[in-house]
Amino acid sequence: MSAVKPEIFTRKASGLVRVMSPYSAFIYNILTMGLIFPWTYLWAPGALPGGKLVWGILLATLLEIPIAFAYVWLSTALPRSGGDYVFQSRAFGGFWGFTLLMSGFVIWILQWVALSGWLLSYLGFAPLFLGLGATLQNAALSGIGVWFTSSWGIIVVSVLNALLSLVLLVSGFKNYVKVQYVMFYSILAAFATMLIVLFTTSPASFIQHLNAFAIASGGGANFFQTAVEATKAAGIDLHPPFSLWATLLVAPIAWTSVQWATYSAEQNGEIKDARSFKSQTFILVGSLIVTGILLALLAAGIERVGGSEFLAVSGAGYWSGVAEAKISGFWLWPNILAVALTASPIVVIIIALGYILNSFQIVCNCYIGVTRIMVGMSLDRLLPEWVSRVHEKLHTPVNAHLAYFIASIPVIFLYNLYPKWAPLTLGVTFACGYVFAASSLAGALLPFRAKEVYEASPGARYKLGKVPWVTILGGIGAVFGFAMVLSYLVVPALGLVSTLAYSVVFGIIAISAIWYFLAKRAQKARGINVDYAFKEIPPE
Amino acid sequence: MSFFSRKDRKKPTRLFFATDLHGSERTYRKFINSGKFYDVNILVMGGDITGKLLIPVIKEENGYRATLQGRTEHLSTETELQGLVERLGTLGFYYKIMEEGEFFGIQGDPAKIDALFHELARKRLEDWVDLAETRLKGTGIRCFVTGGNDDDPEVLQAIHRAGTEAFIACEGQVKVIDEDHTMVSVGYSTPTPWKTPREIPDDQLAEMIEKIIPQVSTLERCIFNFHDPPLDSTLDTCPMLDWSTDPPTPIVKAGQMVMHGAGSQSVRRAIEKYQPMLGLHGHIHESQAAARIGRTLCVNPGSEYGEGVLRGCLVTFAEGKVEGFQMTSG
Repeated sequence: MSAVKPEIFTRKASGLVRVMSPYSAFIYNILTMGLIFPWTYLWAPGALPGGKLVWGILLATLLEIPIAFAYVWLSTALPRSGGDYVFQSRAFGGFWGFTLLMSGFVIWILQWVALSGWLLSYLGFAPLFLGLGATLQNAALSGIGVWFTSSWGIIVVSVLNALLSLVLLVSGFKNYVKVQYVMFYSILAAFATMLIVLFTTSPASFIQHLNAFAIASGGGANFFQTAVEATKAAGIDLHPPFSLWATLLVAPIAWTSVQWATYSAEQNGEIKDARSFKSQTFILVGSLIVTGILLALLAAGIERVGGSEFLAVSGAGYWSGVAEAKISGFWLWPNILAVALTASPIVVIIIALGYILNSFQIVCNCYIGVTRIMVGMSLDRLLPEWVSRVHEKLHTPVNAHLAYFIASIPVIFLYNLYPKWAPLTLGVTFACGYVFAASSLAGALLPFRAKEVYEASPGARYKLGKVPWVTILGGIGAVFGFAMVLSYLVVPALGLVSTLAYSVVFGIIAISAIWYFLAKRAQKARGINVDYAFKEIPPE
Repeated sequence: MSFFSRKDRKKPTRLFFATDLHGSERTYRKFINSGKFYDVNILVMGGDITGKLLIPVIKEENGYRATLQGRTEHLSTETELQGLVERLGTLGFYYKIMEEGEFFGIQGDPAKIDALFHELARKRLEDWVDLAETRLKGTGIRCFVTGGNDDDPEVLQAIHRAGTEAFIACEGQVKVIDEDHTMVSVGYSTPTPWKTPREIPDDQLAEMIEKIIPQVSTLERCIFNFHDPPLDSTLDTCPMLDWSTDPPTPIVKAGQMVMHGAGSQSVRRAIEKYQPMLGLHGHIHESQAAARIGRTLCVNPGSEYGEGVLRGCLVTFAEGKVEGFQMTSG
């Protein structure tokens, strides 16, 4: 059967070609969601006893779906690099676009650069050496593992992690995309290995494996029984009854991961078929659903092998600071659990490699997304002109990368040396959360605030009666998103409730807003009207 | 001492540059309105002004059908038809309402398709000249327009109209911008894999440039409005393409697309040699950038005509110096 010829006439004319395939963008989003990063599995059982992990993760995924769909409309209507910045400056004007993105992404993601170094050191290298030390009965390897958990060990790894990412990305985006495939399949292998271990180990032998691993890692005998007793002594219920409220509150924690389903929008200008509704649905909604299901599967695997008692113990170590519920200073992360349940060095290496590469990928994502936004802001004259300069040979924004690397160094030190700083990590989820929720709102307003752009987009034909679907989905997504953002500020179990947290969160927003007005004023003195960058010229 | 005395400075000239609109009606209207909107004296359109796609709107028993963005739409009311026409205008596509028989008669005949393209493209350009003349009349704003490599020479004749006040076809000539500055325009490009109507080898492009340069009195106060950007300047970055396929396909090595500079060596050499005040370029839509080659500021604002977005660059200059520039997205 031959294909039907489209009823259009074309002529010889040059065209635009984009670099990133939809499949690469799909992978990019899955990796950005941190498939194997595990806060939900420790934080939720500790802070929200009675909450069901699997249901909470699936709920977060469900709540993120309308947001992801709003991004599908936005991305097909405005398929340009710097996604969120473009969407919001179009819908709300330059002030809001700049203030929200500068505070929520450019400044707060510096904390992610520090965090990814911590992940690499603490969850990648440390378990690798600790696991090899335990399985090979080698104390020197275990000692190296412990060094990777020390503040200076993490600082050294974090700086090198950021530096390596800088070198890779400055050398050309194509080099990153090449490495991304290696990272993706390694991470999938690590994830699959963890699932296999968690779903095939007999729950009956679970305690025995865990205790043996604790001894091999330099701990005492009967680790699990000791941890259970300490947890009980701390007044924590090992078998809490089901709580619907706690289950609902698991969703904002799981949103820490799934909210990143839309991060590829920052590279829309580089994605092939970025204007295709089908491609963007696959990239944004598809990656979300796949990741949501995989995260829920991991939760089901941990519950299956360890039961609610283990979840209560691991949560107590993380949330309530029960020292006995840690092995050699490690909280009972899913990877530690999987490493503990197997006696195979190969499995240890596979899992550790996955974590190492995902940690490295996270720092790359920080640079890729943020530098594109910085270039956009610089072209709009809100950041210095040199930020947007692209290297003639390398074709990359070298200055933006260098500036971001330098800015991340003090944050890395603060994160690892100032104990009150690390809990602010949740601020990243909060801040990026308001960026994503605001973009969802921008999607809802797109048909009214950028009518022509919307009308020319492929999504314009989808309406419920006379109401555009993007308005309905974007509105629902914004309500869900802002509800989760608000919950961080008011629910103690979700964390951002200290004076320091409020000061930092609102201080960063204020600094960004002030920056906007100062930059605008400075440019005005040079005869440049910053507002021109955002104003749409009336065609009639 | 100059520190204490304020030197009388001439009022700077403000210029707005946009390029590669590819027939987009809405974007062109924005371009014409940008003069008043951005408060500029000079508008420059840098080439590739004609559209790439022609959509036959085929009459059916109960209305019309048209294929747009891979989807066949059936239109039953005149309002729906009007909506489609407006969308086609934004996207820069031409259209013609025709009977099914007429469509089949044209479909297999490249010469007829070409003739129809030319007819519709000429008509649109004529309308654009009228629009510029009407809207810019009495404003003092002048609008300089050149063709690009995608524009057929025969179609481009439509912009060469005698007696216009504001609309000035400027290709191949030295034009006075203000009392201090001039502009030279070249719309041809080096060969592309799409084999577009106005491509010439790089050495011929060099000859074309060298032929016009002697007519410029003060090169440091001149603007080079060359459609093709300078080679390897960051204004010309795009994927390397395989020319043997139709349409051209990106070259992939080790699983990745190969990026390269697709600009012109002769344009780069001319800028390096003559060091004009400003270089205005387009051609590579995805490569929005500004770069300095010696003292010359070169800009490519990129193009998003398909989204109805007018990308451009505002430049302020006086006495042979660029005082400031700003990329816009209107």
